[in-house]
Formats: sequence, C-alpha cells, structure tokens
Amino acid sequence: MSETRVVEAWTQKPLEDFVTETGARLTLIMTPAGQVLAQYGFTRAVDVMAAAALGAAIFSSTMEIARLLREREFEALSHQGARHGVFLGSFETRRGRLLALVVYGSDATLGLVQLFFEELVAGLAAASPEHVERRPVLAADFERELNQSLSSLFGR
Amino acid sequence: MSERFRGVLERMTRIGGVRGALVVTADDGLVVADALMEGIRGNAVAALAANLMKRFNRVSNAATVGGLRFLHLQADGGTLIIVPAPTGVLVVTIGGPEMNVGLARLEMLRAIEVVE
Amino acid sequence: MVDDIEVMTAELVANPGSLIFLELGETLRRRGQLESAVRVALTGLEHYPSLLDAHDLYARILSDVGDHQRARQVWTQVLHGNRRHLGALKGLAFLCFWSGDADGALDHLETALAVNPADQSIVQALQTVRAMEPHSMADAPTPSAEPVFAGLDGAERGILLVDDRGRVLGGRLEGAEGADVSEHAAAYLAGAAQEATRTARMLDMGAWHWVVAESEAGNIHASAPAAGSLLLIVRDRGVPAGRLTMLAERAGHTARKWLDGQQL
Repeated sequence: MSETRVVEAWTQKPLEDFVTETGARLTLIMTPAGQVLAQYGFTRAVDVMAAAALGAAIFSSTMEIARLLREREFEALSHQGARHGVFLGSFETRRGRLLALVVYGSDATLGLVQLFFEELVAGLAAASPEHVERRPVLAADFERELNQSLSSLFGR
Repeated sequence: MSERFRGVLERMTRIGGVRGALVVTADDGLVVADALMEGIRGNAVAALAANLMKRFNRVSNAATVGGLRFLHLQADGGTLIIVPAPTGVLVVTIGGPEMNVGLARLEMLRAIEVVE
Repeated sequence: MVDDIEVMTAELVANPGSLIFLELGETLRRRGQLESAVRVALTGLEHYPSLLDAHDLYARILSDVGDHQRARQVWTQVLHGNRRHLGALKGLAFLCFWSGDADGALDHLETALAVNPADQSIVQALQTVRAMEPHSMADAPTPSAEPVFAGLDGAERGILLVDDRGRVLGGRLEGAEGADVSEHAAAYLAGAAQEATRTARMLDMGAWHWVVAESEAGNIHASAPAAGSLLLIVRDRGVPAGRLTMLAERAGHTARKWLDGQQL
C-alpha cells in the first residue's frame, strides 16, 4: 500500500482520513497554479507533475466556462471511465484556494468520493495555517523549490 | 423533480417513521430524486446506501445465494431499507427505529415499477 | 514488453532520479532478468533510501533469487515503516508458506485482507494456504468445523461465526453445490460489517444491530453478537425474515457463550 507524502504537514491527517474512507487510488492536493502540497498513491515524479499540471489546466478551463455563464465558479467536476473515475474539486482554506484531484477505482463511487470530499475540505480548512504572503518567485528559486517539493513528496 | 418520482416518494414519506425516501444511482451513489425531512442529508444517504448494497452483494454472492433484492439495516436510532430496480437505481428509505418496515417495503416495490 | 523496457531504460538513463525505476525493476523481475532488476532496484534505493515501495521491489527480487532470509529482513523493515504495506504482508506470507509456516502465512494474509477486503488475490491465497496445509494438521479441527452451533437448525451448513478481520471462528457455510464457502463469505462479511458501522454512524443512526437481506436464492442475516465478532446466517428463500431474526438471536446467544469460554 502506498504512503501519503506531504510537503505541508497540516495536510497529512485530512488526506489520510480521506484516502482511508474512500479507498481512492490517487489523490493530489494542490494550488490552482499546480503546486502540489500533498499526494497519495503516485510513485513517479513525472506522473505527479503531469497530473498537477493537467488538473490545474482543467480547473482553469472550467473557471472560464463559469465566467462565460456568469456563474461564480464550478466547485467540482468528474469523469467516469470503464475502470476508474476522476474527481476534481476546489475549495477555500486560510492557505488560499486549493484543488483536490482524486482517481478512484471500482471499489469507490462518485457519491462516496463527494461525501468524503466534504469532510476533506472541512479538515483541511480547520488545519490550514494562516495565509502567508509569498514573495515573488524567481526562476532559480522555482527550480529549487520544485525539487524540494518533489523530494518531500517521494520521501527522499 | 420528475413528477413520476415525486408521487411515489411522497407516498413513502407518509408511512409512519419514515424520514426520507430517495431514488439513487446504484453505481455512483448519487441522488436522482428525493423527499427528505429536515436534518436528513440526502447525498450521504445515497452514497452510503449504494456502498452498503455493493458490500452485502459481495457477501451474498460469496454465499452463492445470488444478488440482493432487498436490504434492511436496523440500528439503535434508525432504519435503512434499500431495494434495487433493474434499471440500475436503488429505492432507499430511511427512518426511525419504529419505522413500519412492512408498509415501507410494499411502497418501495410499487416505486420500483414506476422507476423502471 | 521489450519496447516497454527500452523506453523505461531510456528514461532512467536520461533522468537517473526518475521513479520509473520501480516499474522497470518490476518488469525485469517478472521477465526473470533478475541481475538487471537488482541493479535497477539498488540504484533506485540510492536515490530514494526511505521509499518503502522501493524496498518492497528489492525484497521481491531477493525472494526470486532465493535469498529468503534477506528478503524477510527487508519486508520486516517495510512493515516497521508501514504496518499496512500490502506488498510486504503478501511477501512475508509467501516466505512463511515456503518455509512450512502455514500459521505465519495465514496471519500475514489475514492482516492483508483487513487492509483490502476486496483483493481477490488475497482471498485465493488464503484458500490455497489452507488447502495445502500439511497432513499432520489434518486431524486438528479446522475453524470452520468447530461445532459452536451444534443443535441449532442449519448448524452444519448455514451459520458462520467470524472475527472482525474476516477470519472464521466457528460454524460452517455451504454454497449452492455443497462446497465450503465459509472463508470466502467471512472475508467479505468483515468489509460489509465495517460499511454497516460507518453507514449507521454517519447517518446518525447509532450502533447497528443487524442486516437482513433477501436475494434470488436465499436470505441472509448479519449481526455482531459480541465485540470483535460477526455472525452470518444463510437460509433458503422459504425462511422468512422474521424467523431468520429469531434464529439469529438464538445463534447469537450461543456464540456469546462460546466466545466467553474461549477467553477463560
């Protein structure tokens, strides 16, 4: 069984509880910009980076659709495949807006994922630290921070 | 809510002890239609009922008695009944421990005919 | 498959820190290219010394080359890091079975089943281990033959007592064609009971008492007669739910008396 890996420690317990309750195969907690705070189930850095980038892009696209429809936002979307389902939800915390990207198999249902997503959101909202104004990121800093995040996410 | 569901669900909620009646997708555990009293979380009932049905279907298949046609969970403070329809939905009733299960079951079987 | 290995190898060469080594090592191991698999695994471990899945891969390779002692050490370390690691539990179960320790194998497999009750490979492994136990154990009563419910209607084929990890404690369940399906049903009953507990809790229904379910060919009744135990009764469709509940109450009383006796 895979482990939960976190960059920011306050995400660990809510994420572990979510994975335990839903039996999700993969889960990413990230910012809308694609920065990953925690992950469960991934074994390859390239998969984490790809999933985070794609998840952020999907969220960004749906925000545009919402704007066209004069909706404030869409909080969640899901896709169902033959063997897996994908769920992407957004929520607010003191840390700022975050996204959860979840891949689940036939053992879970969308209803179950949505149900425990509510608890995940509540847990993360309660545990998140106060928002810290981040300094502008330079290209060199970005590379170093990315590598540090990936190291944390893979237990290096 | 579709008129055809409205009638059957409202009839179910008139049974003694019933606090909520729902039509739920069996695969996804999502609400198709509901009639709920205050305090009943329809999305939670839907998701958990669908999962419970899946788990007990595995038990009945392992015991080689085939797929389930009716499930009744009795707890200290409540009753949950689930009846699957051939169309891939479940009819779910939730109520207090005093719920009239026999009547609820009859109405749910009538509801199955409507949702088919 | 060759193309896959080439692609993965190229990626690893281009990026020595890539986690692709896990998939590459496992693919090489399955193809029997153990020497290459060992090199890939050890190189990966240099980059990720605390990645439990990497240690699991290394232990699988060690087991394949016959170094069971070292494989056991590595898997034991993995469990220290994560006592629910399925790879380590299955690996240690295999090593126990290989060395003739059926009890040890069963312990690890039952723990693995508690981690993932839906894993069919674990259920099958449990059946395999039990079916291949040495003849010297044949005279000992198997758990499913324990006459806990002697005297009760259907005791020999339709009443099963199980612990909350899905292990048979007593009674027996016979399938439609007379086969013993006790362990199969026990494994799934544990997961179903956990779901009943969660459902009742999250819907503010309190503690669950029992589940009655009707199927095409029979009726089932599940309950928890005592802490840590589960009772499953199966009857044909001719036995109505009310009678099933009465039978379950009697069987539950019998189960509690028997369980109390076990703890003395």
